[in-house]
Amino acid sequence: MKVLLLGMNHRTAPVEVRERFAVAETGPVLQKLIDRPEIGEAVLLSTCNRVELVVTTENLDSAKHVMLEFFARELADGELQSKESLSEWTFFKQGREAVEHVFRVASAIDSMVIGEPQILGQVKDAYREATEVDACGAVLSRLYQRAFATAKRVKNETGIAERPVSVARVAVNLAKQIFEDLESKSALLIGAGEMIEAALVALDDHGLGDRRIANRTRSNAEALAEKFSGTAHGLDELESLLPLTDVVLTCVGGDGPVLTRFQVETALVGRSGRPLFLIDMGVPRNVDPTVHELDSAYLYNLDDLQSVAATNEAERRREAERAERIIFEEREHFDGWLVALQAVPTIRDLRRRTESIRQAEIERYAGRLGLSPDQQEALEKLTKGIVNKIMHAPISRLRDETDREMGLARLEEARNLFGLDDEGDEREVLSRRQNPSDEGKIS
Amino acid sequence: MKVDLVIFQHIAAALYLAAGVGAILGLMLPAPRMMRGARWGLGLGAVAQAIAFGTLHRVESAPSLTDLPQAIAIMAWLSVIFTLCLLVRFRLPGFVPPLAFVAFLSGFGATFVGPESVPDAGAGGSIPHAHVLLASAGLAALGVAGLAGLFFLIEHRSLKRRRVSARKLPLPSIETLDDVNRIALVLGFLLLTLGVLTGSLWIHSRSGLFWSGSLHEVWNVIAWMIYLGLVVARFGGRQGARQASASAVAGFAFLLFSVIVVGMFS
Repeated sequence: MKVLLLGMNHRTAPVEVRERFAVAETGPVLQKLIDRPEIGEAVLLSTCNRVELVVTTENLDSAKHVMLEFFARELADGELQSKESLSEWTFFKQGREAVEHVFRVASAIDSMVIGEPQILGQVKDAYREATEVDACGAVLSRLYQRAFATAKRVKNETGIAERPVSVARVAVNLAKQIFEDLESKSALLIGAGEMIEAALVALDDHGLGDRRIANRTRSNAEALAEKFSGTAHGLDELESLLPLTDVVLTCVGGDGPVLTRFQVETALVGRSGRPLFLIDMGVPRNVDPTVHELDSAYLYNLDDLQSVAATNEAERRREAERAERIIFEEREHFDGWLVALQAVPTIRDLRRRTESIRQAEIERYAGRLGLSPDQQEALEKLTKGIVNKIMHAPISRLRDETDREMGLARLEEARNLFGLDDEGDEREVLSRRQNPSDEGKIS
Repeated sequence: MKVDLVIFQHIAAALYLAAGVGAILGLMLPAPRMMRGARWGLGLGAVAQAIAFGTLHRVESAPSLTDLPQAIAIMAWLSVIFTLCLLVRFRLPGFVPPLAFVAFLSGFGATFVGPESVPDAGAGGSIPHAHVLLASAGLAALGVAGLAGLFFLIEHRSLKRRRVSARKLPLPSIETLDDVNRIALVLGFLLLTLGVLTGSLWIHSRSGLFWSGSLHEVWNVIAWMIYLGLVVARFGGRQGARQASASAVAGFAFLLFSVIVVGMFS
């Protein structure tokens, strides 16, 4: 049983390709896939950045063919010109590489924005949809449960999700470094364009208190104020609004600064030293840069916020290296479990094989020896005891091996040594049971 | 009784040490449960130290708290109590480790130095105790103001340089730090004033004068006058939050010097 993964993500395919393969509901398409004999279990993850299919299979080559066909026919609705172009955009991973990849995706190490929180929910949804259509069995269920546990460990044991990497989140975090509680604070938004509207949406999410919107064209400010439960003002009111404000956000056109150092300095006097956080998103800048020199004023422009975001992203990359160690540990655990699981059929075959040999040999001799029922029972016990004692050590070793490579090699050896895949031997045993007179013949 | 005193002092020191280590781990990991445990450790340490001080009072009827190591231990203990009260209202994660370690060092150090007797210490009844307790409480509150000021300056500098540290500083917002600084400054100054007044009464009970002109008195009155200036500047609107923080740090450094260094030579 091998785990096989066929994927396409933001690194391997452009968005215009990825969007052709994206599916809203993965359940129905998965149902068609698991009807194929080459596929054991399957989970399909489809997000805006990746489409990834994970399956279990006994036959890798056939499964690869089926998976490519599934991508081309089911996901792309047959729009694809040829399989060659599909292989340009996709990648295969198998065995431990596939397992590691699933863990990395769930832990957001493989995401475009490392540490982003959405992917774990999307992986959980993909797994849930697969279980709903019975596409998930013991192996993939275990794999995804471990993936969720790995993601939790990565989140708790590294700082991968601690630092914001979007400009909006950086601004909110800075505001929290200045003010303890944003809900009781008031914001002054200067401008009424798209950036200000986006900022208002972000402020809504973080529960900032009063919002005052000031703009040259008052009617535009009024429209935004109505939409976001704020108050509308003209730019001529800035001086009276500033002392009442804790956070100022500006993005308005014009040549000169809208807020001068003098205006801010005067406002700070009226604020009894309370801090003022200013975010200047205007190009050219709307706030005199020397405002940052004032003790209680903290001025950040778009470049500053982007620079903080870049620093945070670099920090997340460093944390991702720590996360890789956790992923390695978890993959080792999963491998151990998978080997133990794969040992089960071999152990079962081994027991069946030795038992069939034992029974065949007893049948060959029992009638000729003319044993009484008691003696027959004693013979049964004796032979069973011998077989069990001989098989105890090899079976224990097969069961206890947790290293994947070593374990799989051992299973293979056991199957060869005991001829478990040899149908001829099995038939010979059966024929001996049917023709005990062949006893003693050497071929 | 002596054994009880040492045992409780050791228990308090051990709890403070555990709280300090726990708080550092809690901040680094970060582990909120460990932080909560550290706060409990700090609180229990304060209780154990309170029992130790109670025992000390029973051993030395008068005045057992006038020697320097004990006075510093009391100051650290009162800082812990004051901070625990502030924690009810403010989120002050970064305050726990330094306070816990200072309380540990001062508490543990006090176990090696037995309370010394002061000549004429019995004079003035309970005034010497009131003086030591009030002055120590004032020092404790002003110490917390200094710590808040120091943290404010660190955070302010980080915001002004627009450089974000590799890991977010485990500090409250600068708004909170400024609030803590303001509250601690007012309370500390009031207690220090009462400490200076009771000190004067104590001198009067011993010598009939309110002012003996000793080095200790001179430096403490200078420190008190400095703080009077800081309070006037702060509440007269002449100081911003940054200047107030810097002043709180400098003021406390001066106060410590006048209490510890001058105390050792006077």
